[in-house]
Amino acid sequence: MGARTGGGVALRPLAALREAWDDLVRLFAHVPFGVSLLALWALLTLIGVVIEQGKDPSFYASEYAPPVARLIARLDLANIYHSAAYIGVLGLIICSMTAATFTKVIPRRIPRLNPVKIEAIPLHASVAIPGDAASVRARVDAFFGARGWQVRKRAFGGTEWTFADKNNWARRGVLVAHVGFVVIAIGTTIYWAKGYSGQFAVLSGETATIPENGATLALERFGYRIDPIRTKAGLVYQPIDYVSTAKITGRDGTAHEAVIRVNQPYDVDGTLVYQATYGFAIDFKLTKDGRPAGGPARPLKEGEGFAIDGTSRSIEYTRFVGTIDRATGRPAADPRPNDPGIVVQAFDGDRPAGSAMIALGQPVDLGAGYKLEAARYVLYSGFQYRYDPGIPFVGIGAFLLLAGLCISLYFLPARLFVLIREIGDGIVEVGIAATTVKGYDVFEDRFREIVAGLQRAPALESP
Amino acid sequence: MDPLRQSIDQWLLLAGIAAYVIGAFALFGYFLLRTPLLRTIGLPLAALGAASQFAELGARWWMTGVWPLTNLYGSLSLFSACAVTIFVVFALRYDLAFVGGPVLALAGIALGYATTWNEGYMPAVPALQSYWIKIHVPIVITAYASFMVAFCVALIYLLKAAAESRYAGRGTALRGAAAGAGGAQIGVTMNAYAAAPALGAPRNDTPAIAAAAAAGDATAQWLAGLPSLARLDVMQYRIIAVGLPLLSLGIITGAMWAKEAWGAYWQWDPKETAALLSWIVYAAYMHLHTRPEWRGTRTAWVNVLGFASIVFCYLGVNIWISGLHSYKM
Ligand code: HEM
Repeated sequence: MGARTGGGVALRPLAALREAWDDLVRLFAHVPFGVSLLALWALLTLIGVVIEQGKDPSFYASEYAPPVARLIARLDLANIYHSAAYIGVLGLIICSMTAATFTKVIPRRIPRLNPVKIEAIPLHASVAIPGDAASVRARVDAFFGARGWQVRKRAFGGTEWTFADKNNWARRGVLVAHVGFVVIAIGTTIYWAKGYSGQFAVLSGETATIPENGATLALERFGYRIDPIRTKAGLVYQPIDYVSTAKITGRDGTAHEAVIRVNQPYDVDGTLVYQATYGFAIDFKLTKDGRPAGGPARPLKEGEGFAIDGTSRSIEYTRFVGTIDRATGRPAADPRPNDPGIVVQAFDGDRPAGSAMIALGQPVDLGAGYKLEAARYVLYSGFQYRYDPGIPFVGIGAFLLLAGLCISLYFLPARLFVLIREIGDGIVEVGIAATTVKGYDVFEDRFREIVAGLQRAPALESP
Repeated sequence: MDPLRQSIDQWLLLAGIAAYVIGAFALFGYFLLRTPLLRTIGLPLAALGAASQFAELGARWWMTGVWPLTNLYGSLSLFSACAVTIFVVFALRYDLAFVGGPVLALAGIALGYATTWNEGYMPAVPALQSYWIKIHVPIVITAYASFMVAFCVALIYLLKAAAESRYAGRGTALRGAAAGAGGAQIGVTMNAYAAAPALGAPRNDTPAIAAAAAAGDATAQWLAGLPSLARLDVMQYRIIAVGLPLLSLGIITGAMWAKEAWGAYWQWDPKETAALLSWIVYAAYMHLHTRPEWRGTRTAWVNVLGFASIVFCYLGVNIWISGLHSYKM
């Protein structure tokens, strides 16, 4: 007795826990709850589209009113897609979908064959056919069988029912779509866990290494084609081609010739290398009183700079100008290096101390005996690389999602309930009702056609 | 391009716009007056407009050798041509001609707006030089187009549902006044079968409109001639069932292209993210549509919201937000 009481005490919290769990599952499986999560997902996504992502705080401070900028910083809205809220909502959606799949979608897959009250089903009709019950039943079965319905018969309390099903297999469409979504989520998680990506820029004639897999890329040359095109809005310089010619050495230790273009990446040991950007690196010459005075040891890319030894000054190479308009002294529209120059920014400590455009090959006086010359440009190529072992999962998941969607939307599982009764004078009444997984309205036209077909079918006409 | 070819291009464009404008008037007329002649005029004009637009896009491609869907002009042209084609197919299959007025009007506006983005004949930038552009773009545009047609049906649904509520309210007030404190309520159950449908007879799911029509109210008589709410709801569902798989396929092919061009199938670029946003809204629509208590006015509003998200994704992002897909760059 004591033991039993003890067991009951031990069981009660368990039962309560079980009940709480069941309630939770029920809540998660409730479609409006799932849809609320979808709405939350949509809202967070909208915020991500509207607020430019991944900028530093100064950007938001300059673009938005102070309270909005503060809100963006406080709620981490500048990095929303990787925020705990975003990932959490996706996790909840998967939980909700899983709960619905296990408690609703799977159990309801194929409903039992049970008799119904035909008149109580909104889609119902009756057709009077001359003949006896047995022969009409056989002809009705043949009618549906010939039209691709799966016909089954059951007797309930001495009454024989005919059940005709169509697209029963398609009841699994929802399951397939939901599984597809989960498989995509698995694929993206695999990338997070095991994949990597990055970018690098290489000057023509130099070599770069991908740190994660040790592959090297020696850039032989970078080429581009930009064509002037006359449009209604005036002359436009349209980029036509960017191409890097390189030697890539992977795990096998052999240097392979690679031609990399936009849309044509190169695969080195499963890591794809993409043509991403290009630019003009500048070889600077700094002199003091006509003698070399330090200056950068290698060509600089846009955004890079150097300090002038022995002073508090530094120079940043801001931008390359393909063609200087000699009439105005300003950059011309043509981005090709016809008469090139660069824009540099001088700093005194952290303070900007003026900027200037200087033509290539023409030294400019910096004061105190210093002269700076942008001696020549070297083309560099910017690459992006990525290793993503989750891709097969994402691909399979996307296929399943799409397949499930098409199955659910284009193959409507429907069931017809047919009851045949003799009503005297050699006339048989065929009572017919229809149900579908998507209610009655979507099947109304089709039902009308079926009933009309039943009335017309020559096989059903009396001999 | 030589002047002759240019004028072929412009004549086809003009023919498209003219067919849409006249067709829109004819089909708006059909919607209002139900004169079969207007339907007979409007539908062929719609088909003609779409055909001349397809011909124009084809001619551009053939004459310049440049795929025409690399700018907003080409893309909006295809959008209106596809929307009108989908409308014509549904009009013929499901007797949907009454929705042609708004569809053709929107197609005409889209095409008119497109011409403001017509910079001429530009070769594609390197990122767009891929066979994927011939797969991904038409799929996405067709999805957008079908959502536009579904949106137009939603407008008519909401118009009829609102009128039903108004007539039901009026009926209640009248009855309340007549019956005193214990006046009976008229229960309006949208989208539910008040009685089993007599086969062949149109179902009446707007009893208040029917009652007012029977009492001689001209507006109600006009409204009663529109398809039932249930039918309008099913039409929206069927058209979205064309758009959603296409949008999904469009996002998937976009991801495949992105993997090839940018190195990652998903970059959270504003355009692809906005397409995801629309996908979520229509996925929500599909889920809500499985629930009888949500099917009807609520799902019609979700449909409207979905199309708003499409307009945002299609035009808003391209014009206002810069990114990898932007026309602003
Ligand atoms: C948010 C959590 C989700 C829940 C709770 C949920 C639940 C359900 C349920 C119960 C159904 C069957 C409805 C019925 O036939 O009565 C269904 C249908 C469906 N679900 Fe989900 N689902 C969720 C998310 C998703 C997602 C993210 C996808 C995308 C792959 C998806 C795709 C589908 C499809 C395609 C259908 C069929 C719709 C139709 O037949 O019209 N579901 N869902």
